[in-house]
This record gives sequence, structure tokens and C-alpha cells, in this order.
Amino acid sequence: MDKIQEIKDRLKNLKSLPTLPPIVSRLNEMVEDEDVTAVSLGKVIEKDQVLTSKLLRMVNSSFFGFPQRISTVSNAIVLLGFNVIKTLIVTSSIFDVMQSSDIGLWEHSLGCAAFSGIMAARRNIKNPEEVSTASLIHDIGKVVIRSEFPEYYAKIVEDVERRGVFMREAEEEVLGVQHGEIGGWLADEWNLPERLSIPIRFHHYPEKAGEFVEIASIIHISDIVIRAWGYGFGGDKWVPPLSHAAWEQIKFGKAEGREIMEELDLRLSELKNFTMEF
Amino acid sequence: MARISVVAPQILRTPSERLPIEAFGHKLIVHGNVQNAIESILNDPPECLLIQKGLQDGIDKTVITALKEDLKLSFLPIILAVQEKDIMSGIDFSRYPVDEIVCINAHPEEILTRIELSLSRSHRVADNNPLTGLPGNTSILKTIQGYIEQETERAVCYVDIDNFKPLNDKYGFSRGDEVIRMTARVIVNVVSEEAKSEGFVGHVGGDDFVFSVPVPAAESICKRILESFDALITLFLNPDDAERGYFESVDRQGRPQRFPLTSLSIAVVPCTKGRFNHYGEVSLVAAQLKKKVKAIEGSSYFIDRREDAEKA
Repeated sequence: MDKIQEIKDRLKNLKSLPTLPPIVSRLNEMVEDEDVTAVSLGKVIEKDQVLTSKLLRMVNSSFFGFPQRISTVSNAIVLLGFNVIKTLIVTSSIFDVMQSSDIGLWEHSLGCAAFSGIMAARRNIKNPEEVSTASLIHDIGKVVIRSEFPEYYAKIVEDVERRGVFMREAEEEVLGVQHGEIGGWLADEWNLPERLSIPIRFHHYPEKAGEFVEIASIIHISDIVIRAWGYGFGGDKWVPPLSHAAWEQIKFGKAEGREIMEELDLRLSELKNFTMEF
Repeated sequence: MARISVVAPQILRTPSERLPIEAFGHKLIVHGNVQNAIESILNDPPECLLIQKGLQDGIDKTVITALKEDLKLSFLPIILAVQEKDIMSGIDFSRYPVDEIVCINAHPEEILTRIELSLSRSHRVADNNPLTGLPGNTSILKTIQGYIEQETERAVCYVDIDNFKPLNDKYGFSRGDEVIRMTARVIVNVVSEEAKSEGFVGHVGGDDFVFSVPVPAAESICKRILESFDALITLFLNPDDAERGYFESVDRQGRPQRFPLTSLSIAVVPCTKGRFNHYGEVSLVAAQLKKKVKAIEGSSYFIDRREDAEKA
């Protein structure tokens, strides 16, 4: 069977995607507390790309009856309610062995979400939380490769280290497809809104994102900024080339750039405080 | 013919044990891994769940409680597979709110019969609204009459979706159904979080709901429901309508018409001790209040304060 078909089949039958043990144990402690609210659980869930994707999968499933409509954690929380969220938490699976690259990718995703949120608010995009959510889960395809195809993943990591290529080039060689596309397939399989799935699919090629070009461009630039900043680890040590089209969409001058970086610095140091606890 | 999830490592282990059940046309979804099982049950619920008592970390109890407390999944019949000694020592069914039990070493034929019984019993619960799964008029009437008879003070709140018809007309009924489901979930989640077991939510039909909560909590609960509704409703509108701020259509003469966007109104009737003798009186007051609250543009609530004047 060719690899692409193998990946698609696996995505169809994907029961569970693992995440970082410390976040899950923190949430498990929280749900034991009688006074904890759904909103406070949401504040932690929205700091994890896997739990956020699962929450969105659930609320957009045909069972709950809002297919492809819900794109943010806060809306999902209101619709699902405490008990469903609690069940999602107590039954969530974790990585058997946590690698340092897992934490790196987590931090990278959080950083991108922070930058994207700032940028979306500055560009007056209607729902900035949606853009930061898309940005948080933009590399979900990498988690799929890491957890579902450990042998291919090992080969990709080895290629990146030995030959110094971009991770997505190694993915293309090993799997015949890149993590953006895999993430897009998963988002489609899970009924997520196009406002999330299309930017995920095209975050390296934002000019192809059609009506979502602005969101995809913000995520594309966040990927570059966060890597250049040296926050987290996106899978390889390179800063991806800037898409001209993306820059045209959201470009900023020196003065605004300074303001953005100040805001980002503040947000990242807050996040560092959060991630250091784990 | 039903889909049955099996999360019970010690039951129906071999194909030959499963055969009698599958021969009846049922589809057994046997889960080896408990964690994965729960996620798939939530994402794609079966028609019946067979779960074993005493799974690791008490996960059986957690799952049963969560399913039974969810407004839609609470109707999923759950069969608890127990050891013989559990039957000898008795089971605390308040901690295991299940619908049926079966012994671990029962014959497959007995398991099949228990499954069929559970399915048929669940079909008999007819009062619930098929769209939202919420209790309907009979239960609403019983609940409120119960407050009056037992002199339990509760605020009975009548919820209406305003300008639901233009939304339904413009986008079609399936979008309308989504909005009704959304409203139901918002009400249930806020009420169950703030009022816990003291709350009740029912679906009168169409775009009408009733909920009841302790009187002092009513105002903050109304505010939270309206806030959540307003935040969510825009996701169910086409972007151009949301931006414009009203619906546009044409009347029978072809003249352009405008309708305000869909919003929510809540009329609150505090049922204090001795105020009412019958449910009919409560709904009469509610009907008068509804007119007032519907006249207010956008999402709003109105609490009937006349009872204070009556007392004074």
C-alpha cells in the first residue's frame, strides 16, 4: 500500500492522539477540585495543541450537531459543558516516553499562537482567538507523524540532523507528503471548520489559502518570527523562507514591528512561566 | 439492530461468544483500550454500552457518571457487567447510575436478552424532545407542580428565541435546528454548572425552553446564558448578515423587509412559597412577562417582581 493511502487510512481510524503527560496530570488534578469551572479547564486546554484539537473534534462531530462551525476553545467549552470536558480529560492519552522535541514543539506552537493572536488583533480580524487557535494547532500533522508513524518519524529526524534539511523536505522524501497536508487531512476528517483546516494545510504556502489567505499568512509569519526568536523547537533549526505574498498581506514597518516585538516579549515571558512549571 | 460498545475485558472475549449477539444483527464494537474506547464513544456514540465494573482507576464510574450527566448521552442505555460477588453484596446504584446489570459469567444468550431489554426500554422514554434530548411538557409540568406542592422556592424561567423564524426561513431548517441545539446546550451547561442538582431544564418545543433554578441564582444565570448565546449565535449567521446587523428579505408584495438578528429573551417567574397553587398560574404570569421581555430589542431577561408588592 502506498504511504499516502496508509496515512489517510490511519487518520480515518485515529482513535486517540497522545499529548504531554504533565499537562494531562495538571488537568486531572484540577477536575478533582469541586469548585473548578469549565472555563478554568479551558484556560489550560487552550495551551495544548492536541487537547485543543480533540475538543474541537468533539464539538464539531455530527453527534453534537454543529459540524464545521466551532473554531475556538471558549466556544467549545460553552457548548460541551463541564462533564464532557472532564471525560475528555480523564480519558486522554499521553506519550509513553516524552522526548525533548515534544516539549520543543509544544513551546513552538504556543509561541506561534501568541504572535498570531497579537497580529490578528492588530489587523482587526473579527475573531482573533480563532487565528491563535489555528496557529496553536498548525503543526498537528507533526504530532500525527510522531505518534502514529514512529519509524518514519525517526527517519525524518535522522535526515534533518544528518543532512541539515528542513523537516518538511525530509517528510516529503520519507512520506511523500508534508505535515501541513497531513494536518489538513486530519482537520477535515475531524470536521473542523475550514477557517482552521485550510490555514493548517497551507501554512507553508499561504498564497494558496484562498479566502483564508490572511489567517494563513499570519500563521506563516508567526512560524518564522518564533523560530527566529529561538522560542521552542519546530523540528529543525532553520527559519523558513518568508512568503512574499504573506508579507504583503500583513506587513509591518519598523515602528509597528518594535511594538509587536514588545508585546510578544511580554506574552512569551508569561508563557515561559507557565511552561517552566512542567 | 443496534451498535453496542463493549468495554468489558472479561466478557464476550471470543468470536463464538459474540456470535449469538451478532447473529441478531447487532454490531459489537469491542474495545481493548479503555481510554480509546471512551473517546470513540463520545465522538460517535453507540446505542448501548456494556461496561465492566471495577476497571482500573475507577474509570468505569467516571465514565458512567459523565454519560448520565450529559443531556444527550443520558439516554444511552448502560449495562454494567458485574462479578457474582457484587450481586451477593449488593451494588450502590446511586454511584453506578446504570440501566441494567449482567453477570460476568452469563451466557451470551442472556447478555443478548439484557441488551434487547435495555434497548426496548430506552425507546419507551417518549417525553424527551428528539432534537435536544431534553425532557418535554409532561416532565416540565410535573417538575413545577412538584415545587408548588412541596413548597420548594424556585425561579421558573421561560426562554424564547427571538427572530428565529427569519433565520429559519433564510438559512433553512437544518441551520435552525443547529441553533436550537446550541441554545439547549448553553442553557443546560450554565444551569448545571451554577445550580448543580437544584436545576432543571426542559424543552417545551420549537424555540421555547423552560428552566428552573434557586431564586437567588436566577439573575446571574440569565446573564451568563444570554452572554454565551450572543457570543455563539454569530457563528450560525452568514457573515454578511452578522456584519449588516439585520436580516433582509422581501414580503409578499416584493417590498424589502428587515428583521432584527436572532436573540434570546428570558421571562423569570419566582415561585415563592404560597404564591401559586397550580402550574397554570405560573404559565399565565409567564405569558404576560414574555410580552414585556420580547419588546426589548436584543437579548434580555425580565424578572417578575410583583410578588414583592403582593407580600408588602
